[in-house]
Parts: sequence; C-alpha cells; structure tokens
Amino acid sequence: MSATDRVNLEQSTVLLIDDNPQALDMLSSVFHGFGVKEQIKCASAVEAVRIIQNRAVDLIVIDCADPEMDSYAFARWLRRETPAPLRFIPVILLTGHASQSKVREGRDCGVSFVITKPLTPAVLLKRIVWLAGDEREFVESENYVGPDRRVRNFGPPLGIPGRRQGDLSTHVGAAVEANMDQSDIDMLLKPQRVAL
Amino acid sequence: MTEARTLKIKTTLARQMAQPGGRTVADIERRANERLDRHRDDVMITVAGTITELELVAAAAAPGSEPQVYQLASSLLDTAGFFDTGPLYDAGYSLCDVADRMQTNNAWSWPSVGVHVQAMRLILTAGCKTDATSDALLAGLRSVAAKTRT
Repeated sequence: MSATDRVNLEQSTVLLIDDNPQALDMLSSVFHGFGVKEQIKCASAVEAVRIIQNRAVDLIVIDCADPEMDSYAFARWLRRETPAPLRFIPVILLTGHASQSKVREGRDCGVSFVITKPLTPAVLLKRIVWLAGDEREFVESENYVGPDRRVRNFGPPLGIPGRRQGDLSTHVGAAVEANMDQSDIDMLLKPQRVAL
Repeated sequence: MTEARTLKIKTTLARQMAQPGGRTVADIERRANERLDRHRDDVMITVAGTITELELVAAAAAPGSEPQVYQLASSLLDTAGFFDTGPLYDAGYSLCDVADRMQTNNAWSWPSVGVHVQAMRLILTAGCKTDATSDALLAGLRSVAAKTRT
C-alpha cells in the first residue's frame, strides 16, 4: 500500500466497541479521519449484541474487558450464534495486554485480526485494507469458527492426516523440461528499452 | 471428529472498499493523526491520574486489592496505547505482565508492584522520553519481571 493508493471507507458502517470511554472517543476520531461516515459507538459488548441484530454493519472493532462479555466472548458469540451473513463480519480485536489466560482465547475465538497496542492509525488502516482483500476461507468446525488462521495454506505434510482439499502442495515435482542455461536467465533479467 | 466446512466469502467491507472514490492513504493517515492528536492532553491527564491511583493501591498494599493493579495498569495501556508514550507504555505493559503472572502463580509481591509504579512516575515526569535513565529503569523492571517467571 503506497501513500498515493486510494482507500474508500465512505460507504462502510463500522461498529466500535470499547468499555473505556476515552479510548472509544479516540477510536471514533481515527475512523472519522479514515472517512467513515457511519459509526456506531458502543460502551459494552452486551449492547453491541443488541445493535448488531438490528443494523447492518460492515466492520467491527472491539476492545472490551467487561467480565459479563469481553472481546473474546463477543467474537465467539458472533461466529457461532448468529446466522450468515452476520457471522462473516470482519472483526478486529484491539488489546493492550493479553493475560496468559486470554492468549489461547485470542487464537480460538474467530476474530479476523488481533492488533496489540500501541496503535497507530497507519497500522489500523493497513489491517483494514488487508481485510478488504482477504482471501482466506471461512472455516466452520466443531472447535473453531472464523477466518482460516493459516495465512499460507500448506497444511500438514503430504501423507499426514488432517490435510484439507484446498491446502497447497509442498511437493516440488520433477522438472518437465531442460534447465535454462545462464544466457537465457541473463536475457530474462536484462533491462530492455521498450517503445511505448 | 466432524469435518471442517470451508466457505469462500466476499464481505460487504470488501465490496464497498472496491468502489471508486475515497481518499489517498497519505491524506487519510494525516486526517486520522490530526484528529487523534486532539485527545493527547486529556489522555496524559488520565494517565497521570491512573499512576496516582496505582501509587495509592501499592502504598496501601491491602489484601484483596491485587486485581486492581492489573485493572489500572491495563486501563493505562488502553489510553496511552494510542500515542507514542515509549518507555511509559513499556513499563505499564511490564506491570500488567508481572501482575498477571503473580496472580496466576499465587505469588504476589507488592514490592514488585511498587518498583514498577515508581518507574512509571519517573518516566512520566521526564516527559516519556527514551534516554539513558528510562533505559536503566526498564532494564530494572525486566529483571523484576524475570523473577516472576521463575
């Protein structure tokens, strides 16, 4: 992503959930800067549950440590308890410090991204742009519902149980034609003047 | 074990962001940083208040108040984490880490909390700058944190 690339968030509705009012205001300012016209601000995940069942939302950003429903519990509810297309909404989880007990939950709750603070608008924007082009499949299994956690789908090695149909092959096949000689390679790399 | 089902999804976010229009990345980042910066002074007041609360909790060292340490340090990270507070953020993170481990392992040490809070106060008073003093303070906190891991 270069500085001159264009990003269009003008049509998107973003749900911001943060139990710290000051942090919620700052998050909202960042998204105003991003050009998001419609923001819904929530002080708790429980309130967000009610909202999301009645309004269409395109992106959720959550940082919530409320014991009644924290960020992880909210993500699990969204992925497991709601119908499509609600369950597919991208979720970015923000966190300052993840306690030991929460690290595994962060991996397993089904969020699209975990972003640890300190946070800059540049990092947040980069992650949102990445999500817009996210080609990961959505996985539904007994133990996990959410975007595929593997960025490179190599899967387990060939011959080991657990490989999926879409896993990329790690097997490098035998050459089907003669190796290129050095002059052919040089020609490929040689800069050439092109008439435009 | 049941088979995992995989689906190809195109989200509404992806469709909307593919529409023409919008602003350049440079413009968006500049606007977001400008708006965020308007909160800086208020946040630093809140951060100072949180450190004062931590000082009071650490000084009282009251039985049963241990969870407050993690909550306060965590709330400091929540707000300070929007700005470059450098060594202050690192010290706050270390306090969260130490408090979390001490609670999990049932090995609470108020002196370990106290030294973190003192370091945070010193760093804040010095304007959250990274220098030889803050480096030395953080090195000290790292050795305190290392002890909670053993």
